[in-house]
Amino acid sequence: MSAEAHWNALGLAIGIIFCISLGAIFLWMFMVPKQIPLAAARARRSVDAIKRILVPTVGMPYSERGVELACRLGEKQKAEIILTYVIEVPRTLPLGASMPKEEEKAREALSRARAIVELHNLPAFERIERAREAWEGILRTARDNDVDLIVMGISPNDGRSEALKRTANEVIRRSKWEVILDKPASRTP
Amino acid sequence: MSGKEEELRREVTVWGSYMWGFADVGADVFVAMGLVFAAAQGATPLVFAIAGGIYILIGLAYTELASAYPVAGGGQYFSARGLGDIWGLVAGSALLLDYTIDIALFATGSAGYLNFFLPYLFGVGIDRFAMDIGPFKGVNPLWCGETLLIIAVLTWLNVKGIRESSRVNEIIGVVVIASEVLLILLGFAMAWHPSLFVQQWKHEFPSAKDFMYGSSIAIISFVGLESISQAAQETRRPATIIPRTSIALIFTVFLFAVSIALLSLGILPWKQIAARVDSPLAVIAEAVPYIGPFAAPLIAFLGTIMLFMSANSGIMSASRLTYSMSKFRLISKWFDAVHPTYRTPMRSILVFSGIGALQTVLAFLSRNAMDVLANLYAFGASLGYLLVFISLFALRIKDPYTPRPYKVPLNLSIKRRDGIRVEIPVLGILGIIGVGSIIFEVVLTHEIGRIAGPIWVLGWILYYTWFRKRNGLPAFSSLDHRWEEHQMEILESAEEYDLLEQYRIALAERDEMLEKRGVKSL
Repeated sequence: MSAEAHWNALGLAIGIIFCISLGAIFLWMFMVPKQIPLAAARARRSVDAIKRILVPTVGMPYSERGVELACRLGEKQKAEIILTYVIEVPRTLPLGASMPKEEEKAREALSRARAIVELHNLPAFERIERAREAWEGILRTARDNDVDLIVMGISPNDGRSEALKRTANEVIRRSKWEVILDKPASRTP
Repeated sequence: MSGKEEELRREVTVWGSYMWGFADVGADVFVAMGLVFAAAQGATPLVFAIAGGIYILIGLAYTELASAYPVAGGGQYFSARGLGDIWGLVAGSALLLDYTIDIALFATGSAGYLNFFLPYLFGVGIDRFAMDIGPFKGVNPLWCGETLLIIAVLTWLNVKGIRESSRVNEIIGVVVIASEVLLILLGFAMAWHPSLFVQQWKHEFPSAKDFMYGSSIAIISFVGLESISQAAQETRRPATIIPRTSIALIFTVFLFAVSIALLSLGILPWKQIAARVDSPLAVIAEAVPYIGPFAAPLIAFLGTIMLFMSANSGIMSASRLTYSMSKFRLISKWFDAVHPTYRTPMRSILVFSGIGALQTVLAFLSRNAMDVLANLYAFGASLGYLLVFISLFALRIKDPYTPRPYKVPLNLSIKRRDGIRVEIPVLGILGIIGVGSIIFEVVLTHEIGRIAGPIWVLGWILYYTWFRKRNGLPAFSSLDHRWEEHQMEILESAEEYDLLEQYRIALAERDEMLEKRGVKSL
C-alpha cells in the first residue's frame, strides 16, 4: 500500500536546492576548456617564460609608454622590470666625468618609470649606465642582468631625433635578446 | 617507457571518467547506508558529513596528483614517484587488495540484489540453497556460482576493450543518477517530516563509541575515487578533464550521501532502516507516496546495476594498476602485454579477475561472505590513501616543476635547501591525521583485516624482492625511471600541449639555475 502524500514547503525547497546544486556541478564538469594546439601553446608559454624585461628610458612620454607596455607583458608571470637610463658621455670627456645635470635628469626619469612599475606590483630595478653610445649601455645592461626581453619606446616623430633612431636601429641589429620597439602613432601636425 | 610500446587507447570521455568513479563510490553508499544508520542512529547525516569531509580531503589530493600525472597506476604511481619503488609496491599491493575485493564484494552484492527477485520468479528464496559442505557450514553454491558468472561477464567486457565497458558504465550511470534524483526530490517534497527529523536528531543521538564506529563505516562507503586515476591513461586530455570529473564526483557523491541520510531520518524511524541493512534504500523508497509500491523491486534492480558497475570498476582498476606496476618493474613484465587487437592489458585483467573469483570462493566458505570481504576492504583503502597523502607532500617538495592544473588549496610556501620555493598543503596534514585515525581504528576493530591485510602486503613484498633479485635489479633502492622524459611523453600523448610547454620552461629554468651554481644535475 502506498504511503499518503505529505507535502511540505521546506522539504520541497531542500529537494529543489539538491537538484539545482547537482545540475550546477554537472554543468561545470562538462564545460571543459578548449584544447590548445601545440604551436599556439608554444607561443603562449614562450611569453610566460619572459621573467626579466629591460626598459631603457629617456624620460619622455613615449619611453614611459614603453615602461607601461613592458609591465603589461610581464604582469602575468610577475616579471622583473629593469629600468635603465644611459647617459651618453661625449668622447672628449672621460667616461666617469661628473655630469650632475644629466644625472639629475636620469634619476627623475627612473623615478617616474618606477612609479609606473609599482602600479603593477612588479619588482623594479634601476640602473644608470654611462656609455659613449646609448645602444652600448643598453646592450651591456641587458647582458649584465641576463634579461629575456628589451622593450623600447621610441619617438613617434621620425625627424625629431636622429640619435634615438640610431640607438633603436643599433639595438635591433646587435641584440641577441628579443626586442620590442614601440613607436606610438604620430600626432596630427 | 619506449614510445614504440603499445599504449592504452585514449577513449574515456568526460562522462566516462566521471562514471568510472561514480560506479565505485555510488555503490558504496548504496550498501553502507543501513550499516551507518545501525551505528550512528539519529546522527547519521552528521556522520556522513564528517566522513564526507575526510573523503573530500582525499579527493582533493587525488585530483591534484591524477591531473599532474595522468597515467594508469593512481596511488601506486604517485608513491613510486614520490617515495621510491618499494613504497610504490606497498601502495600498489594495498590498492590491488582493494580492487580484487571490489570485484568479489560487489559482484557478490550484485548477485545478492538479483536474488531479491527469486521468490517472485520461482517462489523460493536464496537461503533455500544454503548447505553444509564438509566442515563448512551454510555455504551457498548458487549465490557463489552467480557471483562467478558476473565476474566472468565483466572480465570479457574488459578484455574486449575500454569502449565497451566504458559505454556500459555511462548508460547505466544516467539511469541510476536519474532514479536517485527522483527518489530524493519526491521523498523530500511528499514524505519528509521535519518534526520526525528533529525529534530523532535530538533524542536518538548515539554514544561516542557508536558515533565513531558509524564514522568509520561511512568513510569506507566513500571509497572509489581512485578509479578515475586508474583510467587517466585512457582519458582524453586527462590533465584538463580529470580535475573536473574528480571534483564533480567528490561533491555529487557527498550531496547524494548527505541528502539520502537527511531524507531517511525525516521519513522513517532509524531503527526501521537499520533493520534492513541489506536493502536500506528500498525501505526508504517504500515510504515515498506513488512510487512506494514499486520501490522494493526498483531499488533491488538499481542495487544490482550499481554493484555490477562497481565490480566492473574493480576489474578495470586492478588491470590498469598491474599494467603500471609491470611497466615500472615492480612486478613481472609478463603483465605488461597489451592485446594486439583490443589493445587492453589482457593478462592483468585475467589474472586479477581470477584472484577476485578465488577470493569469492574462499569467502563463500564462511557463513557471511560479504562481512569477510568488507573487513579486508577497509585495510587496503586506508593504507593506500595514507601513502597517497605522504606522496602528495613528497612530490610537492621533489617535483615542483611538473605543472599542476589543480592544486590542493591552502598552502604554506617554504624554501628548499637549494633555494627553490615549494608549497606545502595544509589540508594534506589534516588528511594524514584523518586517514591515520582510520588505519588505527581498522587495526583495533577489524579482526580479519588486521591479519590478512598485512599478510597480503608482506606476500607482495616477498614476491617483489624475489622478482628484482632474479632480474638483477636492486630490491630496496629505486631504478632510474627517467621521470622527466616520461612526464613529457605523457603530456605529449595526452595532447596537453600547454602543460607540456610549461613543463619544458620550468625544467629549462631549473637547469639554467643549476648551471649557474655549477651543479650538473639534481
